[in-house]
Amino acid sequence: MSKNWNLITAPLRKANPVTVLILGICSALAVTAKLKPAIVMALSVTVVTGLSNFIISLLRKGIPAKIRIIVQLIVVATLVILVDQFLKAFMYDVSKQLSVFVGLIITNCIVMGRLEAFAMAHKPWESLLDGLGNGLGYGSILVMVAFCRELFGSGTLLGYQVIPQGLYDFGYINNGLMILPPMALIIIGIIIWLQKPEEDRK
Amino acid sequence: MNDRYIFRYIIILVIVVSVLLSAAAMWLQPYQKRNQENEKRINILKAAGIKDVNNDNAEALFAQHCTAQQDGELPMYIIDNQTTVIPMQGNGLWGSIWGYIAVAADGKTVVGAVFDHKSETPGLGAEITTEGYQKQFSGKTMVKKGETVSVEVDAIAGATRTSKGVENMIEQTLQKYIPYFESHE
Repeated sequence: MSKNWNLITAPLRKANPVTVLILGICSALAVTAKLKPAIVMALSVTVVTGLSNFIISLLRKGIPAKIRIIVQLIVVATLVILVDQFLKAFMYDVSKQLSVFVGLIITNCIVMGRLEAFAMAHKPWESLLDGLGNGLGYGSILVMVAFCRELFGSGTLLGYQVIPQGLYDFGYINNGLMILPPMALIIIGIIIWLQKPEEDRK
Repeated sequence: MNDRYIFRYIIILVIVVSVLLSAAAMWLQPYQKRNQENEKRINILKAAGIKDVNNDNAEALFAQHCTAQQDGELPMYIIDNQTTVIPMQGNGLWGSIWGYIAVAADGKTVVGAVFDHKSETPGLGAEITTEGYQKQFSGKTMVKKGETVSVEVDAIAGATRTSKGVENMIEQTLQKYIPYFESHE
């Protein structure tokens, strides 16, 4: 139990795919200007990493070694298309904001990385947990970054005004730089900087 | 693991996947189509100044208020027999932009406008989708300059090319509709 539990919790902090392995940065910059698309993206990636890990792990003994990357890609691409179609059907406005980035989950290094590094050599149940853990690890960083960017960039959270009008009357101004991608990189940098000394101590 | 095994494996995999994807596409297509149509309806109604339109009531409101009409080559939507909503298409800085502009029964006053874009810069060009920018158009009068008409509003600072794109789009579209408005005055 504790070993399986570790599969989920390790990627959240000490093996975090974004801040420790520095994977999946591209989409982390692109979809974090607002909190809602970031949350949907986080869930989409979690679904894809979890299920693709599970399916590849089920197939792992039959997959011909020569074409294993192709097989992995087919599985990932199928899942991503399904997620994309699903969002377009039931969460249309969010899917419009995420635009191409849902499709680009296919190229997210975290997904293929976990398939090669974990699912090809572990049992389905453990692989599922590892995939979910890594998706959540990625998602937690996305949500943190999006929280800062939406709060300071637009003064809102999930579209609701958070910073009171009184502050604006005093001359407070939303930080326009927060909305642009460079600031996402800086925030991720700050998160890594805060996390690093703590991990080194262990 | 010889080549024959690899071939068989990949063929079966691809067949399974394609059946799965086709089934999903067929199941989800009606929902997606409805969303796309509703988006159009919402934009048209919003341009004409009808408030509180959302995905759930768009279809009913649209049927209640709006009739699609064609004047020669020119498509238009008439709202409550008064406002004419005209679809527009143009180019922004990075990609296409589009929208709807609503003109009152006098053929001169702009009731409202909505815009959307493919890939303008967030925080700069993408501001054309915000209410703050769009509400500038309400109540403005179309300005005639010789053959062309335009609507004068404040551009977005830092997004000159997108603002210019919106301006051109409106100008080019309205120009085509001048004869229609003049004959219906």
